[in-house]
Amino acid sequence: MSPLLEIKDLSIDLYADSEKFNVINNINLTIEKKQKYGIVGESGSGKSLTSLSIMNLLPDALAISGGEILFNGDTDLTNLSKKEFLKIRGNEISMIFQEPMTALDPLYPIEHQIMEVLKFHGSYSKKQMRQLAVEMLEKVGIPRPQQLIKEYPHQLSGGMRQRIMIAIALICNPRLLIADEPTTALDVTIQAQILDLMNELTDNYDTSILMITHDLGVIAETCERVAVMYSGEVVEEAAVTTLFKNPTHPYTVGLLESVKSLGDKSNKLYSIPGNVPTPKQLTGGCRFASRCPHAMEICRSQAPPLFSIDADHKSKCWLYGEEEVVNG
Amino acid sequence: MADQQAVLEVKNLKKYFPVKEGILKRTKNHVKAVNDISFEVQEQETFALVGESGCGKSTTGRSILRIIEPSEGEVFFKGVNLLDYSKREFRKMRKDLQLIFQDPYSSLNPRMTVKKLLLEPLLTHGTTNKKEAEQKVVEIAERVGLSKEQINRHPHEFSGGQRQRISIARALILNPQLVILDEAVSALDVSIQAQILNLLIELQKDLKLTYIFISHDLNVVKHISDRVGVMYLGQMMELSNTEDLYSNPLHPYTQSLLSAIPSHDPSVKKERIILKGDVPDPANPPSGCPFHLRCPKAYEKCAMEKPAFIEKEQNHWVACHLYE
Repeated sequence: MSPLLEIKDLSIDLYADSEKFNVINNINLTIEKKQKYGIVGESGSGKSLTSLSIMNLLPDALAISGGEILFNGDTDLTNLSKKEFLKIRGNEISMIFQEPMTALDPLYPIEHQIMEVLKFHGSYSKKQMRQLAVEMLEKVGIPRPQQLIKEYPHQLSGGMRQRIMIAIALICNPRLLIADEPTTALDVTIQAQILDLMNELTDNYDTSILMITHDLGVIAETCERVAVMYSGEVVEEAAVTTLFKNPTHPYTVGLLESVKSLGDKSNKLYSIPGNVPTPKQLTGGCRFASRCPHAMEICRSQAPPLFSIDADHKSKCWLYGEEEVVNG
Repeated sequence: MADQQAVLEVKNLKKYFPVKEGILKRTKNHVKAVNDISFEVQEQETFALVGESGCGKSTTGRSILRIIEPSEGEVFFKGVNLLDYSKREFRKMRKDLQLIFQDPYSSLNPRMTVKKLLLEPLLTHGTTNKKEAEQKVVEIAERVGLSKEQINRHPHEFSGGQRQRISIARALILNPQLVILDEAVSALDVSIQAQILNLLIELQKDLKLTYIFISHDLNVVKHISDRVGVMYLGQMMELSNTEDLYSNPLHPYTQSLLSAIPSHDPSVKKERIILKGDVPDPANPPSGCPFHLRCPKAYEKCAMEKPAFIEKEQNHWVACHLYE
């Protein structure tokens, strides 16, 4: 059985000031059917760009310079025409964004925005569409959906709006739901509600989730597998339980350490020194070398490949140089 | 509450924003953003205010500094009521009371160099010796981890973490006694957040600062604060020292807030209290206890009567009918 989504050697370049900068470098990800997959990284790590490239929504200044994105085993999403993509986007792959206020159109009632998806991807009567929309709103936990469907986005709270976004994303029963920081703009108690809802819905719907977040806690709560991104590269990839128990890449170790030492007042908070390098500052070596406590001679001159720690645990670090190379 | 060395004493602070309607802009209603809040901040401690968006924690911080004029109440800073001063007189006091904002991208003037940004507060507060002022700028910049060369650059040349360092330097250059940090690390990435938190803790020790730390991030608050006040819909629900609050939360709201934090260990599945619904509209708050509509333990009395803020255990205050 082929996986649902396979990203192979994907690279993305940024064109600015008539120069070319690499922002995504050779990443490989495999998402199985019904899997909850997480990408975690800090701002500028390329996690959002990866998701936008799957949806064919990259901004003009950016372009895929290599690799392929296989959907359902055979369709290469990078090769589809704009017209062909319209059939997939919102139907087979849909996406929810961080800011539910800007993602909804303030001029139209909720009803219009949910039914728009059905109108585009299906052939229903108006009555059927309204029926389906109300049912979907009920499933995402909206109270009084019959009345609420007539309201406008500004009349709803942030948590409600995010529920509407989820309803719009799931109404065509997509194979893959990409959630880009879906709870970052929400309060903790509302975040707990939304994460709960997403877990519940995907269990009932046969949908795979690609969860993009900066919050390791969200990953721990929702995902099965996780890829850690740093400066446009996947630096570690493993099952969630493995990653949290046995992190191998110094960046992952540092991230987890700085989160875990929070609350322990007796010690100084662990912090990774320095800042994420900008695309202009990149040299030939490992992109984390300038901040890494274990950096060696080879790290500064030569970028490490992705080494296999064990069957399904990979790490892009020379410390594991004895292990077998997974891919270049 | 004991009053041995309270630097700041907030008594019955209220801030009501009028809601105006109609052509005549008559005041129809009030949003009670801060509704009768009292607390004390001791010398050199970190007092945290936590709560969800709209609970009034930022309005409280700003009312103390009179950036927003409070409607009622008293704010004693070292024994004098700040609200008794005229605006002009109060400006002189602002030297001792500083505020650091969340977003280091919008709180620094993009047209000024770091040096100018840091000189500005000194000049505003009457420093005339330029050489001395410049010396001070270099000192404070180095203190927060910026090099001498960097102070001639503009804010856009810095990353978010470094910009927050500039904001901190700008707040500290006048040797304040009380610093209010309004979500000061919330916009930063985890690894950078840790650097800034360490810097803040270090500076507090060295410069003998008192912090009011306003945040929605309960993990960060646990790390940095000595005492915590939990706010909901403009009211204080629970107030205690940090250790007690996290190990023994009394108020059902605090309990659910703490249980909602995602755990960082996927093998431990936490028992979650998932709250129903959203925070009610502050212009139209529920009767009785503000939390009763979402509270899993609410009973009839909660809808009728507002619970008093009582000292349930030593130095552990709570406003809930369950403990009366």
